Amino acid sequence: MSNSSIPGKNKSVISKLGGQKFIVLLVVVGLIIFFSAISPDFRKYTTVMSILDYSYYIALMAIGVTFPLITGGVDLSIGTGLICYSLTGGYLIVQKGWPVWAGILVTLALSIVIGLLNGTLVSVMNLPPFLATLCTCMVTRGLGSIFSKGFGISWPTTGAPGSWFRNIFKITVNGTKIPLGFLWVVLLVALMAFVLNHTKIGRYTIAIGSNKEATILSGINVRFYHIMAYVISGFFAGLAAIAYSAVFSTVQPGTGAGFELEAIGGAIIGGVSASGGVGSVEGSLLGVFVICLLKTGLPYIGLQANWQQIITGLVLIGAVMVDIMKKKKEAV
Amino acid sequence: MEKIKQNPIVKKLGFNRIVLCCVLLLMYLLFSLTSKNFAGLPRILSALNYAYFLGFLSLGVTFVIATGGIDFSIGPVMFCSALISGYCLTSYGVPVALSLLISIFVGLLFGTFNGYLVAYWSVPPFIVSMASMNIAKGLASVFTKTQSVSWPQGTTAEGWFRNFVKVGDFPVGLVIFLAFAVVCSIILNKTKAGRYILSLGSNKEAVRLSGVNIKKWEMLAYMICGILVGIAAIFFVAAYTTVQPGYGDQYNNEAIAGCVMGGTSMAGGLASIGGTVIGVFIIALLQEGILALHFTKDYQLIITGIIVIVAVYADVVARRRKN
Amino acid sequence: MGEVILTMNEIDKSFPGVHALDHVNFEVRKGEVHALMGENGAGKSTLMKVLTGIYKKDSGTITYEGKEVEFHNTREAQNAGVVIVHQELNMLGHLTVAQNIFIGREFKKGITIDDKKMNEEAKKLFDRLHIDIDPTETMSDLTVGKQQMCEIAKAISHDAKVIIFDEPSAALTEAEIEELFKIIRDLRKQQMGIVYISHRMDEIKVITDRVTVMRDGSYVGTLITEECTKDDIINMMVGRVIYEDPKAQSMVPKDAPVVLKVEHLNAGKMVQDVSFELRKGEILGFSGLMGAGRTETARAIFGADMKESGDIYVNGEKVTINSPEDAVKCGIGYLSEDRKRYGIVVQKTIAENSTMANLQKYMKGLFIDKKAERDVTQKYVESLATKTPSVDQLVVNLSGGNQQKVVIAKWLIRDCDILIFDEPTRGIDVGAKNEIYKLMNKLAEEGKSIIMISSEMTEILRMSDRIVVMCEGKKTGEIGIEEASQEAIMNMATREIG
Repeated sequence: MSNSSIPGKNKSVISKLGGQKFIVLLVVVGLIIFFSAISPDFRKYTTVMSILDYSYYIALMAIGVTFPLITGGVDLSIGTGLICYSLTGGYLIVQKGWPVWAGILVTLALSIVIGLLNGTLVSVMNLPPFLATLCTCMVTRGLGSIFSKGFGISWPTTGAPGSWFRNIFKITVNGTKIPLGFLWVVLLVALMAFVLNHTKIGRYTIAIGSNKEATILSGINVRFYHIMAYVISGFFAGLAAIAYSAVFSTVQPGTGAGFELEAIGGAIIGGVSASGGVGSVEGSLLGVFVICLLKTGLPYIGLQANWQQIITGLVLIGAVMVDIMKKKKEAV
Repeated sequence: MEKIKQNPIVKKLGFNRIVLCCVLLLMYLLFSLTSKNFAGLPRILSALNYAYFLGFLSLGVTFVIATGGIDFSIGPVMFCSALISGYCLTSYGVPVALSLLISIFVGLLFGTFNGYLVAYWSVPPFIVSMASMNIAKGLASVFTKTQSVSWPQGTTAEGWFRNFVKVGDFPVGLVIFLAFAVVCSIILNKTKAGRYILSLGSNKEAVRLSGVNIKKWEMLAYMICGILVGIAAIFFVAAYTTVQPGYGDQYNNEAIAGCVMGGTSMAGGLASIGGTVIGVFIIALLQEGILALHFTKDYQLIITGIIVIVAVYADVVARRRKN
Repeated sequence: MGEVILTMNEIDKSFPGVHALDHVNFEVRKGEVHALMGENGAGKSTLMKVLTGIYKKDSGTITYEGKEVEFHNTREAQNAGVVIVHQELNMLGHLTVAQNIFIGREFKKGITIDDKKMNEEAKKLFDRLHIDIDPTETMSDLTVGKQQMCEIAKAISHDAKVIIFDEPSAALTEAEIEELFKIIRDLRKQQMGIVYISHRMDEIKVITDRVTVMRDGSYVGTLITEECTKDDIINMMVGRVIYEDPKAQSMVPKDAPVVLKVEHLNAGKMVQDVSFELRKGEILGFSGLMGAGRTETARAIFGADMKESGDIYVNGEKVTINSPEDAVKCGIGYLSEDRKRYGIVVQKTIAENSTMANLQKYMKGLFIDKKAERDVTQKYVESLATKTPSVDQLVVNLSGGNQQKVVIAKWLIRDCDILIFDEPTRGIDVGAKNEIYKLMNKLAEEGKSIIMISSEMTEILRMSDRIVVMCEGKKTGEIGIEEASQEAIMNMATREIG
């Protein structure tokens, strides 16, 4: 094959460093510099803490939703799901006097059940993923309100008995708050990146998104692995529910819609392709930080927080358009 | 069963639609029997109030689904329309008539935006919807400085637009809504736009190879949807007065439910305006019934979700059987 | 050549309306490369699909390694050592080469996948085949040729004893084919039985030991490659009997005006510097083997795909065609070879499909004039003799031939004077075929100009006034009907290009 090009030799430096991930990292750094330069308040430790506080639940959701996105689907139920799981667990702890660990277990169990439901609707019943998960989005929203009887629920506050779970994410040592949650997020990203790249679940997740027919023809139990992608997404929404309950004082029923955009937007900005097959967990995390920085940073430069919603929407579409243009170029 | 389906009258009306009508009547009977004060005009008028704005949303999304796409930004866009136009009215002193036009214009703007991205850029419709939904919410909040907006009461001089919904006890809104449904049905079945929208939903490539500019027609479907969403906003404020920023997504599912229940296929190419109208009435009656039985809105969310899943699954199974 | 490893005896298979395999015999020995040849639709692929369990045979026996077997799916065949390397690649573009080769049977280390071992094994496999591919490369970054090599490696990694190559060289470059042949020779040395399906005569001479020829679903004969000539094979492929008389001479006057002139058209690898002229009232046959670039040429002219360069003149005027919309405005209509995907909208009625390309003519103000639409459709239903109870019938309920007539009606209603018919009779039964032929002749007499792409030699000879032959994306010949013969065309269609 003398005249065929030798792959790998003409790749640019950027693509060697992880392509989009590298660019997104630059954007994150750029945003930090930009906001810090404009606003002195932004440079404070408390700001860093609040950005991190905001980032945990979005980052956890993004880790999970990366899997259905890579299969070429989507999970729109994670946002309202998060609130629903948190309300359910919180209700049992606060109203029924369950121990906190039991509440957490129920929270996670419920998230897995909803994940299974999504997976079944998409993989077994062949419903369009956006539609199936849009429905579970509404269902979880309703369930959350029903479980909590329509009232907001506060998981045990700092200092109260059973508040130990709040220390998982933030611990105060000698008066300094230490963002432990960031450590967990990074560890979970490492774990799920490993799952994506080095286990059957991850391998077949990519295979399904790449060419579902060919994957079935390879004799793989596509149904099972397709469902698993949604279970992972659900489970991480459950973890995100714990993070959310630990960081914020009260969980309100009827909220949560829109969280999924931040997570999915983060994942897509971080290099997950909207048409499936491509993506990385660490990329998704970086993408989430772009969104979190915008969200927390905008008020520091004098813009209403609501601008963030608009900008997130536009950035999401921009990221997908870049992806589409890239594909068009490759096709030529 | 087959015999009934082959009956010419049944065929003309559509078996599916007849079944839906029966469901509607049964539901009404059921609610009347289980809830004391359900039977009677007030409940019906209240259900109709809900049916109007939902109906316009549902009509709009029918066009989009006919192309094989989806738009679940319609609920928040409706709120965005109502908020922006209402804020113009209350804070900038824009006349009511102009405000109503602004409402339609905002809807059209979003429809054009969505349609352009889907048709000319091939951005997946669900991504566009997700982005639009949040842009609409954000824009409304920014524009109104996160304040809710109350439209003028019917007693004031500016409240004339409330006559769109009812004059006395006469449901003017029903007449207007049905008139629009007829217009939509004509557009879908008797004009070039409708013909191409349905055809491209069924087989895009074949239509393109017939020398048709499919991008233009696909975008038009989203624009029609946008206009109808803007009108839905008018009926929403005429019935309910106050609009709060940050909400509206629960109506997406209800509008889509009305549409798919009525026999419009998620795969595109098949749409029934008549079916959508009946579907919307069922959803509106359901909402009224749930309230009458002293359940919360939350049950409505769950039931609607299940309805959509069942309706779409039925469509998936029907299509698989055909192949 | 060693002992017989696989024997297929009296294999019979029918599909509704088609007798696809008529008591076919075929055998493969260890250490031989056995070519399977025949025109398109001769039944080669069907035979191999029966072998590997994709189709179930109606009767006959398959003996493999001395035992009678019947595989129920490709996986069973694979496990037994009978593997097929498909023409279309079944690959997962986002995964690496090694990951593709071992998909579904990964090496594991605890719960994790042992990519290192997979890469090593893949490397060993490649070394054995003398292929130079990095197993960690992403599949979609490879050239088509290398992807094909990976498919072969994957096939062999199943401990294959019989490997079937289904037109492996169709998408390969000259150098890649050399590479492929080296691998095949290696495999032959390792005593594998190899079935090689190809259209390319020269390849057959170079690489194979025996040739089995099929025609119209029947077994014609088996030759030793060394002892036969290219003409022997061609004769067996086309057969002596021609059922329909070829056209004796062109009906088109020599000075008929040129309605379509294509100059130096280029569009990717499949359309390279194609030029030709089409005259008024002429049926211009486009002949060639599968993958010769005929459909691609038609689609490029019609604006369905992007073209790189080339000029198109309609009635002497240079036109710009960037989309089907432009082409239709120039009066060009295109009947696709794949009706269901590109021709008709199945959920719509005959009338709705018929006016698809010219709806503006049947409008009354803003509205579609359904009566006019029905009337004009009815007119064409009658003149084309479309069999249907009414014009309101959904096209999905029509037979293939009648669906084809609906597509033809669509272009006639649009007043297209230049019609491109791409395999107009594919999947249509004999009676309906004759009707389509009659119709085409009638259209030509009325002054329409037709380009007819066909893979059926008899169809080309029966219908065309002039024949353009393509091979490998290039025009390799042009011949008037008076001089044309099956052998002459086949020679041009298999002419190898360096």
